Amino acid sequence: MKDPIAGNQRRARFQALCQSLRPDLLRFAFWLSRDRALAEDVVQETLLRAWKAQDSLLDEGAAKPWFLTIIRREYARSFERKRFVTVDVEELVAKEEPMLAAADEQDLVELRAALFKLPDEYREPLVLQVLMGYSTAEIAAELDLSSAAVLTRLFRARKQLRELCGEDTRLDPQE
Amino acid sequence: MTDCGQYRRAILADPRNEDAEMRLHAASCHDCTEYTERLRRFENRLDRALRVHVVAAALPNASSVIPLRSSKRPGPSRPPGVARPWRVPRGWLAAAASLLLAVVVAGSLWLAVPGPSLAADVVSHMAGEPDAWARTDIPVAQPMLDRILSESHVRLRGDPGLVSYASSCQFRGHLVPHLVVQTEAGPVTVMVLTHEASRSSTRFDEQGYQGMIVPIPGHGSLAVLERGTGIDLDRVKSVAARVRDAIDWTD
Repeated sequence: MKDPIAGNQRRARFQALCQSLRPDLLRFAFWLSRDRALAEDVVQETLLRAWKAQDSLLDEGAAKPWFLTIIRREYARSFERKRFVTVDVEELVAKEEPMLAAADEQDLVELRAALFKLPDEYREPLVLQVLMGYSTAEIAAELDLSSAAVLTRLFRARKQLRELCGEDTRLDPQE
Repeated sequence: MTDCGQYRRAILADPRNEDAEMRLHAASCHDCTEYTERLRRFENRLDRALRVHVVAAALPNASSVIPLRSSKRPGPSRPPGVARPWRVPRGWLAAAASLLLAVVVAGSLWLAVPGPSLAADVVSHMAGEPDAWARTDIPVAQPMLDRILSESHVRLRGDPGLVSYASSCQFRGHLVPHLVVQTEAGPVTVMVLTHEASRSSTRFDEQGYQGMIVPIPGHGSLAVLERGTGIDLDRVKSVAARVRDAIDWTD
């Protein structure tokens, strides 16, 4: 017979884990989708799936990559469910203005708009590296790429981002 | 031997690159050292830019943790210009039952789970701060450190030690300086929490981080922590005291 107290404690820990990771999961989903509402939907579905599958998470230390993998799958599913068309980045930026332009972070608005303009294949590894703290090898495993390909994408991501932001790129290397 | 082009390509792809040959090149090349500092400043901005505001970590009810669809939003969003498709509910009974079960279980558990402590929120913040744990002897530029402290209305009046990382971070609704002080034993993270009063020093050990919340009477508190287990708390205390004494709290 299962111990109900142990079960409750385990679920409480999982609940606390979800709570602590939720802000970063939302941020990751937001930068993946560039759409706050869609990000919330994706994270919601992710937490529900994770809740049902919590027994498969054996090591809490591996929780973040576990959640991020589910988020990426959920986001991909959202494409299967909907018929997406080409979107105008300027429209996306305008739509998400409240999220991009918090009152005390005006200096970051331009950089956030530039991030919106980065191609998906450059933005995703950059977010994994900077926001999620992934190593090159971890990004490569998550995106099913070679480490060299990941480094190339990260190099191009920063190079484009710096150009879009009007940074002094005279000393930036060429490919 | 790494040349400037190779160095900059590598550092642009991964500013945390701690490769020995890279460090050797940086140490011998003034231009590349300057380039790295500029890139780190950009990287700090990038890190802040990616941390868009989301719902605060401390949430009032279980439905926010295992969230229900908001009644204010009609459903999943779609790109501009796409008409809302008519959707046949897909296994809605199963989904509703699962949702209800999750909310009921989460709701009952929520009552038993205490709200997140200050330490828990600090640790939660650490999980997304990759640059914070790099071991390096390259300090952040002094103007940048001054600016980050001034954003939280404090300033330096002494030497806090080698600060290798400095960032203004959103924490519980306020911008707070997030610093990393390098010690002989490795990096120690310090968050200057001018908005968080604490009555007494509190030790914590959560999710692989150990440290202390140190009260600064009348001026908030410092959160000082290291990653790992079995850390030397005297070292943490020493860093806390050094940073506390180096900051002019009267602004």
